Amino acid sequence: MDRTLTHFIAALRNAEVRISPAETLDAMNALELVGYRDRAFLKDSLSLVLPKTADEKETFDTTFDQFFSFEDVAEQSVAVDGEGDGEDGEGGGEGQGQGEGLGGGKGSGAKGRKSKYAAAEEEEEEDLGPGAMAEPRSALGKLLIHEGNVELTMRMAEAAKEANLTEIQVFTQKGLYTRKIMDAMGLADLVAEIGELRASTHIPERRLAQELKRRRDWLRELVRDYVERQFLLHADATGKRLREDLLQKVKLSNVEHRNFRLIQEIVLRMAKKLAALHSRRRKVFKRGQLHVSRTLRHNMSYDGAIFDLHWKSVKVDRPKVFAICDVSGSVSAYARFMLMFLYSLEEVMPRVRSFAFSSDLAEVTELFERNKIEDAIAKTLRDYSGGSTDYGQAFQDFRKLCMDDVDNRTTIVILGDARNNYGDPRTDILKEMYDRAKRVIWLNPESRNTWNVGDAEMRKYSAYVHQAEECNSLMHLNRIVGNLLRMVS
Amino acid sequence: MADIEQLAESVDSLKDSFEAHRYICSNQIATAVYLAFHLRKPVLIEGPPGVGKTELAKTTAEMFALPLIRLQCYEGLDETKAIYEWKYGKQLLYTQVLKETVDEVLQGAQGFAESVGRLHEFGDIFFSEEFLEPRPLMKALQEEAGCVLLIDEVDKSDHEFESLLLEILSDFQVSIPEIGTVKAHRDPPIVFLTSNNTREISDALKRRCLHLYIPFPDTDLEQRIIQARVPDIPPELRRQLVTFIQELRDLDLKKVPAISETIDWARTLLLLHTESLDPELVRDTLNVILKFQEDIENVDAEIATLTNAAVRADGIGAKPRP
Repeated sequence: MDRTLTHFIAALRNAEVRISPAETLDAMNALELVGYRDRAFLKDSLSLVLPKTADEKETFDTTFDQFFSFEDVAEQSVAVDGEGDGEDGEGGGEGQGQGEGLGGGKGSGAKGRKSKYAAAEEEEEEDLGPGAMAEPRSALGKLLIHEGNVELTMRMAEAAKEANLTEIQVFTQKGLYTRKIMDAMGLADLVAEIGELRASTHIPERRLAQELKRRRDWLRELVRDYVERQFLLHADATGKRLREDLLQKVKLSNVEHRNFRLIQEIVLRMAKKLAALHSRRRKVFKRGQLHVSRTLRHNMSYDGAIFDLHWKSVKVDRPKVFAICDVSGSVSAYARFMLMFLYSLEEVMPRVRSFAFSSDLAEVTELFERNKIEDAIAKTLRDYSGGSTDYGQAFQDFRKLCMDDVDNRTTIVILGDARNNYGDPRTDILKEMYDRAKRVIWLNPESRNTWNVGDAEMRKYSAYVHQAEECNSLMHLNRIVGNLLRMVS
Repeated sequence: MADIEQLAESVDSLKDSFEAHRYICSNQIATAVYLAFHLRKPVLIEGPPGVGKTELAKTTAEMFALPLIRLQCYEGLDETKAIYEWKYGKQLLYTQVLKETVDEVLQGAQGFAESVGRLHEFGDIFFSEEFLEPRPLMKALQEEAGCVLLIDEVDKSDHEFESLLLEILSDFQVSIPEIGTVKAHRDPPIVFLTSNNTREISDALKRRCLHLYIPFPDTDLEQRIIQARVPDIPPELRRQLVTFIQELRDLDLKKVPAISETIDWARTLLLLHTESLDPELVRDTLNVILKFQEDIENVDAEIATLTNAAVRADGIGAKPRP
């Protein structure tokens, strides 16, 4: 079992690339064939085996670059060897080092900070000048002074494995893991040695102490960067997932503006899942037309006696969905997500017509066809959300506008809180819709026990709908739209 | 077979040999064929229309000197068209013939059990290979020396059909209830599936395949492709037209021009003895690269700018050259 590969796959899964065990096995076969020698070749090969959509390929590219980024350490080492000129002080490198620009940005960052450390030490220590240096005795000291960066990086990776770095969860653990890795690399011995050396009277030994200290600080930076990178690979998504889970359950009217982006992502993903579930077209059997060749074929096994008949079938298109959304102040937040959801489902619901109202109702279907979803929603809310809610007027407008288009394949979804400001509810029109349409569904964002309080007319309306549901979170939306798809088909 | 082994020895040798067959490909594509050959896995090719998905399969077949078996998918395609079909006309005929001889067979039989016993001796000849009509997928398995199987536009077929493909893709075999399992010969076919992404392909199918995404090529690659496909075109014009097309792809169009369109356009311009792009000419030939009236109207206003930009970019690019 190849540990590196499994870790890489874990990192990919963390970045939301779905990889099955079968694909892991394929990746191993590919790896056997290709080997680790040629980086570009390995990347090409693995990107054929592991990610299976264009989106996933992009994620794969960045993850691969982050995961196999050992060369960058070699670049940083140059900065250490040419220590004297490191005075440019670009010390702010770490803060923005979000995984991109690992090579250049981090290198110069480490360099700048290091030179600051050096400066701080020079204040308290006398300048010993150039000259001979004593030999280090501790294992880590030897490694720092004599070995190349490849060995150092390998040792670091080993230490990280000992410290179970891949299990890092939250960012506060970064310091802990840095410490653990340093310890595993033998920090204690090094510190003891530096202490001894500094107490020494022998100049070359003091010189070594300074050099070791400098390199120890540099190593610490290196390890910290390494931990940072691993954290981004292994743990970043856990936090995101937690947040997403939470957002699915939270009331949509309480969602803060900054989370809209994320919500939209979730909506799209949910919609995609639903679309995949329902995108298969169903067959409807039409009695009366014999499928001659199939009937003959299936009856061969009965010696040509034709008794098992097969009929021609046709496929039916998706039915029509009319969405009527109350976009007045109290409900607009819900309308936003409902519309988002419906239009994200384009693939399975090709004929959604949508209407928006607060008092007067208008069709916004075309708006959605011509614009991007977000823009269309913003425009709808801007143009129609003024005015006090008047369901009676809205229903009247609906009847004028398109009652004739409502037929027995139509599903009407009404989103609103049924708060009619004590106006005429016009249940007669709703009844007409109820009689004509295949199904009328009322989604109410308020919780069920406030449905009939105050000016709410839910009791009257619910007599003329097939189904009335509470709907105020993404989970509700998902479930209801899922049911909708199941029922209307 | 030795030739194929030699060709597929490394990615570079594959790439060279593709080039020799006038198919210019990126490392990624060559790697896909390399892995497909060595891991014996089918390749699912996705990408916008006209980037050479089908062409890749054809060229591979040509290169390995293997027969190409092609199955074009469409809605309603089922196993009787894709895998096998019983020759039921022949079966019917034979039943008629047998009816007359059945009396002879049963003559002298004592009791029902013996009659049935004798009938059984006929065996299931009606459902033997004799009466089997192989369709593309089965044919591909039966090819002695292996072949290249191209399942084109698999996204156009029904979901049910995808499930039918699973067995053949993972194990290179098909099960026929009446006969048993038909396995591939020594060399299983090299399978390519193409998809235009009109719908999501099921995970089960994707899992069994290598997934190759062919995007639009970058300027360099596209120039080389044009050079390979339309060798007579003057280099200056070639650079200009590729730059023009590349910029066109950045615009918001209903259908952006693909490589096949670039090649067509290059041929058109060659036919018109063009030396260099100019707005008038571009306007007249725009219908070669854009296939929607809406797009043509949209681009129309920008033609002059785009053409000039392309010509100018070429001027800058060309100067350092000797």
